[in-house]
Amino acid sequence: MSEGLTFRPSRSYRVFQVINGVIMVALVLTMVMPFVNTLALSFSTPLNSMQPGIVLWPNPFSLSGYEVLFKQIDIVRPLLNNTYVAVAGTLLHVLLSALTAYALVRRPFPGRRLFVFLLLATMMIPLENIMIPIYVVYKELGLLNTLNAIVISGAVSGFSVLLLKNFFAGIPVELAESAEIDGANDLRVFAQIYLPLSLAGLATVTLFQFVGKWNNFFEAVLFISDTSKYTLQIALKSLIINSDITSTTDAVVKNTQMAGVIVSVLPLLILYPFLQRFFTSGITLGAVKE
Amino acid sequence: MMQRKWMREIYKARYMYFMISPALLFLVVLFYTPVVRGLMMTFYEFRIRGGGEFVGLANYLQVVRDPDFWRVVKNTLVIGGGSLLLSFFLQVAIALLLNEIRNSFSRQTIQTVIYLPHLFSWVVVGGIWISLLSPSGGLVNALLARLGIEPTYFMAKESWAQPIFILTSVWKSLGYGCIIFLAAITQINPVLYEAAAIDGANRWQLVRSITLPGLYSTMLVVFLLNLLGVLRIFDQSYIMSNPAIIRSTDVVMTYTYRLGIVRLKMDYAATVAYVILAMTIVLSFFYLSAVRSDVLD
Repeated sequence: MSEGLTFRPSRSYRVFQVINGVIMVALVLTMVMPFVNTLALSFSTPLNSMQPGIVLWPNPFSLSGYEVLFKQIDIVRPLLNNTYVAVAGTLLHVLLSALTAYALVRRPFPGRRLFVFLLLATMMIPLENIMIPIYVVYKELGLLNTLNAIVISGAVSGFSVLLLKNFFAGIPVELAESAEIDGANDLRVFAQIYLPLSLAGLATVTLFQFVGKWNNFFEAVLFISDTSKYTLQIALKSLIINSDITSTTDAVVKNTQMAGVIVSVLPLLILYPFLQRFFTSGITLGAVKE
Repeated sequence: MMQRKWMREIYKARYMYFMISPALLFLVVLFYTPVVRGLMMTFYEFRIRGGGEFVGLANYLQVVRDPDFWRVVKNTLVIGGGSLLLSFFLQVAIALLLNEIRNSFSRQTIQTVIYLPHLFSWVVVGGIWISLLSPSGGLVNALLARLGIEPTYFMAKESWAQPIFILTSVWKSLGYGCIIFLAAITQINPVLYEAAAIDGANRWQLVRSITLPGLYSTMLVVFLLNLLGVLRIFDQSYIMSNPAIIRSTDVVMTYTYRLGIVRLKMDYAATVAYVILAMTIVLSFFYLSAVRSDVLD
């Protein structure tokens, strides 16, 4: 077993490599096939999408699923609502988190410890656990049934502040100090020195926040009941799932349902290559020790 | 004198206060006000018009005696705990196997592909799997038919419900965990491997004595973090449950939602959620002690 100094592949290792390859192919198929099937069904005719069989390619090709989705079901409104929530929510979150991170890095101030405690303790209290009082307070503030309720929910998070704080802490203090000698105040130092030098950090927070807001489901379920305010995820849920349970009257046909799935994941697929560049910093913060 | 110094410090940091003020406003008004209000609700009998009588621990006693509460706790632990353990094992195993792939292009591609389900919402993932598992035209039943197996209505059978919830959850989170563990593997000092190889260690010995021990701290943190996630699962259950299987698929948070928002028993729903919150906070301290303390400040 332990003969070589170098990693000259032994026979058992080559056997392992083959088995490993087979496992990887099976793994990739398990992950990809459901999406291929979904895509194929979305481009099938209504009748074909309901028929049994292994569908990996539409035959014949048809756009009727998408036509029904956009013309009869009017997916455009939830799409616009979702875009507003995702864009406005992300901008607000990034701005507030960056301002907070700067204040925590730049200068000590009385009350800082209490503020840090309040910020980090939010990470121990999941939104789900306080949904009832959140609902009550949002109702009193007149935020129920507004898209802005979803926008401001989670306007700042301990996670994003920590991530940005790490980036800001790496910026040499001398830069800020020399700018101050030239008469710049903290807002200018923040906007003209710290932000431009932390673009990777800002991009990480922005992308992950956008994906989270785009996929947001819980807050939409909690705050929104008016169908004209539906976001994409709740619209999609009623498209796919409610029609599946009460499958008697005006059920939405499968090719339309799957077209809805494809439309809702498209923006994320476009962002995915950009997202990947920031994987390690975004996903592994707080999980990987150095 | 002291006071003047204090005032001067505050004045010097005036921009800091200005810059944290939006976050502070959010935290106080939209986060901690509800946290405190919720705690009060658990001790009072809720009336829609406000007011309400102080009832002490009556709501808490009701939770302990509520058979539905224990049922949804059990569902939460079976579905959440089951997927936690199974995905944890598979994530580590696949990260180790991926690490053995020498061709970096293949490795990158596999990583990219298996992360995809985690990128999408539970509505998308749930919708795709409901379609795949459907008895009429679903891919899974079509594949089973090739093997001569009769179509099964998976989503309508209570015996299938929990395994399906666990497997779809594993499917969704697999790639996410793999990326974390792969990142941790690349941070292990390569000198360790070289030294062990000179001492004649084979591949398996390298994995067992260097890679796995090098992953322990990451495993602990990831495990505790995901454990916290178990108690808050909502989306999957809310989306994939249906009347035929709901008795074994509703979880604590969907129960809270139905009680409080749908049936307006707000005081009792808040109490259910706060009992779980207490558990979450206790578990959080284990998590915090596992993460390096200076990450937090």
